[in-house]
Amino acid sequence: MILLLVLILNTGIQGQSTYPSTGMNGAVATAHPLASAAAIDILKSGGNAVDAAVAAAFTIGVVEPDGSGLGGGGGMVIYLKNEQKSYFINYYGRSSERASEIDFSSSRDHSTAKAIGVPGTVAGLLMAHKTFGSLPLKKIMESAISHAEYGFPIDQTLAKLILDNIDKILSDSVTASVFLDDGFPRMEGEILVQRNLGKVLRIIAEQGSKGFYEGPLAESFVKGIRDRGGVLTEKDFASYKPELTVPLKGTYRGYDILTSNVPQSGISLIQGLNMLENFDLKANGHYSESAKTLHIMAEVEKLIYADRYQYLGDPDFVTVPVAGLTSKEYALERFNSINQSKLDPPRYRDAEYGNPGVFEEDLKKVQVLDMEPADGHTTHLSVVDKEGNAVALTQTLGLFFGSGQTVSGVLFNSAMTNFSYNVENVNYLQNSKQCRTSITPTVILQNGNPFLIVGSPGASRITTTIIELVVNVIDFGMDVNEANLAPRFYCQKFEDYLHIESGIKPEVRSELGWMGHPIKVYEGIDLFFGGAQMIYVDPLTGEYSGSADKRRGGIAIGY
Amino acid sequence: MKTIISTGVTILILFFAGSSLLAQKFEQPVLISSAGQSADVKLVKMLAQRQGLNATTVLMAQPEDLKGIKTLIIVPGFSSKGLGAAGISQQEEFERVQTLVKSANDLKIPIVLLHIGGSARRKGQSDSFNQLVADNSKFMLVVKQGDEDGFFSAISKAKNIPLTLVEKIAETAEPLGNLFK
Repeated sequence: MILLLVLILNTGIQGQSTYPSTGMNGAVATAHPLASAAAIDILKSGGNAVDAAVAAAFTIGVVEPDGSGLGGGGGMVIYLKNEQKSYFINYYGRSSERASEIDFSSSRDHSTAKAIGVPGTVAGLLMAHKTFGSLPLKKIMESAISHAEYGFPIDQTLAKLILDNIDKILSDSVTASVFLDDGFPRMEGEILVQRNLGKVLRIIAEQGSKGFYEGPLAESFVKGIRDRGGVLTEKDFASYKPELTVPLKGTYRGYDILTSNVPQSGISLIQGLNMLENFDLKANGHYSESAKTLHIMAEVEKLIYADRYQYLGDPDFVTVPVAGLTSKEYALERFNSINQSKLDPPRYRDAEYGNPGVFEEDLKKVQVLDMEPADGHTTHLSVVDKEGNAVALTQTLGLFFGSGQTVSGVLFNSAMTNFSYNVENVNYLQNSKQCRTSITPTVILQNGNPFLIVGSPGASRITTTIIELVVNVIDFGMDVNEANLAPRFYCQKFEDYLHIESGIKPEVRSELGWMGHPIKVYEGIDLFFGGAQMIYVDPLTGEYSGSADKRRGGIAIGY
Repeated sequence: MKTIISTGVTILILFFAGSSLLAQKFEQPVLISSAGQSADVKLVKMLAQRQGLNATTVLMAQPEDLKGIKTLIIVPGFSSKGLGAAGISQQEEFERVQTLVKSANDLKIPIVLLHIGGSARRKGQSDSFNQLVADNSKFMLVVKQGDEDGFFSAISKAKNIPLTLVEKIAETAEPLGNLFK
């Protein structure tokens, strides 16, 4: 309790705290001080990185209810240092077995029960705990239950998001009863109690995954969702299974990249870094001071998105050319297609996808592209323990506050908005399919040791933000806080602007304009560009340094 | 971390010397508009409805929308999401509000500032809008959390503009209604 009080009192300014963000025994970075505190308490109680990550993930679903929770999904990269083994748990949601029966429109139905996919968070976190954890589940979930039942003070980020999403919150009377007081938004400093959510968490702690996906609770979810116009069935819940696989692997300038596997977006991170290996970033100067560097990086970001939209889908339904997209040779070919002196073609939307099939066999191609909703919201947390085991975990409700629909205490996701509704698209909605998602939890190794644990929310900005963070640390030698605070930019195929923070020098912006980039400037730092949580491990001393993004109300703690 | 104790009591703070402004009443019909395109304006619309005001809400009001209007309520607060939805830049929005404010002043339509977003709509990109509207207002109704650093109080004092501070958004309803009684 004293720890929590200290944390709360010291986090009046977003992302700033007097609490140490470095340590030799463990570190955690999350988007909320109470989630970071939960993870550190677990580490200090003898838990490992997976225990701590699961505790933080359950907790952040309570204290940052706009970004993730029991009704959402996610992905987790786990690296066990002593075994030198890595794992990936894909617990993103799936569409219903009856999804094709509904007439769904993302623009019309994003804040309705029609937008809800089968939630995977509970199954995924419990799989991680059961497979890799060491402490009892009840201990792991204590913090989340306590904050749900007794409440916590609303921080500035949540207060603002409640205001910004008032229409969605008002769309469901149950959701409104949680986040509104007398019909108006609860404000910063007010205590948010979620008793019904606490009851569900207790059921999970006592009964495990079955308590959530089967029996009376699942029946109440299905009834509530169907009463609101959704189509999830009891079979959807009972049959949901997270996937324990291996992360997607790549390299960047001698570092090993472990990241989320398809249909999550680690593949785009690896492709982007492979392309950037063909350019001497350091010699050309940091992108905030060099228009050439920023132009090249923006073009890389645009091209990886062109490929992503063309090829990335659920591998159970489509063939994803993973080997081609992640090959160094394909990256070189794509890099060489960049005009280094001007935007070419003049519109981002005219960028063409490449042909990674040349670099692998069995490529199945389709011809139609679609963009995704740009307003997604998510959360990321990074953990490392004293053994050097590392977890990068990103989870989401889809859009801010998901579908806006709360049933039996659980706020449900808007995963259906991530599908394409064009039958020729690899991400086309089909029954019991997993949609493409931007989340990219990543662990970077140096000589088998964790070097950087990183991830971010931010919908389609996730991949670009992580690329920029990686080059800030590896190419430009920044420490994690410098890297996190450095100005960001964002570019992709389905954009009309190159979005940049105002920390990019004005003369760089001018030069980019001359090169043909339409610029949209964000003053200062902006949540639009994500909220990265990362941990750096000093290769010489082994010291852990955490960094929580000041674009968001997070905190890093080391011990 | 700031702690709010919601007493349900409206705190009226008057920084001006004369009493004539205290008695100032505003007339209807009312035009409600945004300065910064935050969703707060939708809540003010609800508040006005609860008070039975004859009010029209136009998110991006133009000078021509002032025709027949007796009072202009402006809800300041920056939202990149709102600006994106409106398809305009921050600069374009600022220039729109400048034009609207000037037209209201030219037509002698009094402006009421209604700031309900608390700390979420202060500093950063919100304060240029807050400043513009506050400087040109005849009355300010502010949820107290938005004035914790004395931003609105200082303007009130310097420009002799009456200011009412309330603890919570819901508590703005009554003083808002009283302005028109």
